[in-house]
Amino acid sequence: MSDIKRCVSLYSYQDEFYLGKLDLEGCLRETAATGATGVELLAEQMIRKFPLPIETKDFRDQWFEWMKKYNLTPACYDAFLENHIYDNRTLTLKEQVNMMNRDIRLASLLGFPVLRTLVSTPMDVIEGSLPYAEEMGVKIGLEVHAPFSLNSGWADGYMEMIKRTGTKFFGFVPDMGIFCKNIPDVVRDKARRHGAKEECIKIVDDAYAKRVANGFTKIKYDLNLGKANMEYRMANGMAEMMDAVKAAGGGPADLEYAGSSFTYSWSEPQDIIDNIDYIFHTHAKFYNVHEDLEETAVALPEVIEAYKKAGYTGFLSSEYEGGEHLRADLDVDSIEQVRRHQAAMKKYIGK
Amino acid sequence: MAGRPIYRPSSFKNVERDGNVVGFSFDWKAQYYRSFTLSILRDLVIKVDGQEYNRDDISITVNGATFTLEECRTVVDPEYRWEFGEYATVTVLKEGGLSKGKHYIEAVQKIAPSYMPFVIEAPCNTEFEI
Repeated sequence: MSDIKRCVSLYSYQDEFYLGKLDLEGCLRETAATGATGVELLAEQMIRKFPLPIETKDFRDQWFEWMKKYNLTPACYDAFLENHIYDNRTLTLKEQVNMMNRDIRLASLLGFPVLRTLVSTPMDVIEGSLPYAEEMGVKIGLEVHAPFSLNSGWADGYMEMIKRTGTKFFGFVPDMGIFCKNIPDVVRDKARRHGAKEECIKIVDDAYAKRVANGFTKIKYDLNLGKANMEYRMANGMAEMMDAVKAAGGGPADLEYAGSSFTYSWSEPQDIIDNIDYIFHTHAKFYNVHEDLEETAVALPEVIEAYKKAGYTGFLSSEYEGGEHLRADLDVDSIEQVRRHQAAMKKYIGK
Repeated sequence: MAGRPIYRPSSFKNVERDGNVVGFSFDWKAQYYRSFTLSILRDLVIKVDGQEYNRDDISITVNGATFTLEECRTVVDPEYRWEFGEYATVTVLKEGGLSKGKHYIEAVQKIAPSYMPFVIEAPCNTEFEI
């Protein structure tokens, strides 16, 4: 038995929402139909005129009525710190802390115990928001999204802050894109549809397998994310791989596939066990779950095993991201994908 | 195979002001996964039948208000977000508008979410008819 709970990030249903096939309530209804009990919301995605409605009692009454009707619990509120909202300057530290505090308040108004913040959030903004987070009872979780990883120089910086402040209101939200054993099949299929050569695909897949076998060189902490990312890519052999693809006659589709291979990474699932005290919520990112419930990129059984071993009692939140590799040419069925992913998680959690 | 639609097909039309055709317009959806303030809409590149239009001649309408691309830089009010999944209208000034019949548009939406180390450039190409 395990106390791991299942959740759906409404991000997963973005294609149906975009087409007008599902509205916010429709997404909640589909979430409940999968057997998940938690809901993760991107308010800016599905609530018009953000953030005005959340300030109204009418909207909140409706929200909590839906939670009751569909037997769902607010699990995680995904915030976007728009610190470059103007193109000619970055918001000051105080402006950013005010924006973060606004989002903490919005999360609290809708009953969310955890707020997801992005890797681009400066450390001093997080630190500046901790008193308010504590006052409101909302924990700030920094998303650990590929190419970032736990047990890295990047994470050490945050760990030092946690130790120094003694805060219980800041931790991590790992994204399972950091546990990809392979490049997702939908990405490879897209490359083929767009004319990639088998020889080039093999070069990229072999290079990925080599990175997984030898271990990825980890990304460093740097406020300049573009610079940190490029250094990370070079340290993991991007230049050599690109040269090989070009030498094999690779065109735009091959180079796109090669470049996109760096948006996935492999960390040891042991990282979850090592950091479990600081993990508030989890994005169970996935790309394509087949009818037999096999997700081809994320090592779901091994990762869930690590969560069980660690005694995790939080949510694993399905976050479907395969649609972006289909929607230019093909129909997307997020509802079926999420259903399968929830069934797969249920199987591995063991209840 | 059917890709996700970006444009509202019936929306391409010439625009009249005071009895003169002053340009053309169309409705489309943002190629991004959440709503955003127009201040992070860094640019729109509009090219029809190979001709690229001047930035100053392009405006966008959301929730009944129209802004030039230059004005978009300061638009942060919740009333005027480009909502996810909702159409915004683009108007391009061009004396006499476009000729009746088939055309080809190659457009790029440039959106700069703060967390991204680069600007998202979404190409939006399609045939259309006036």
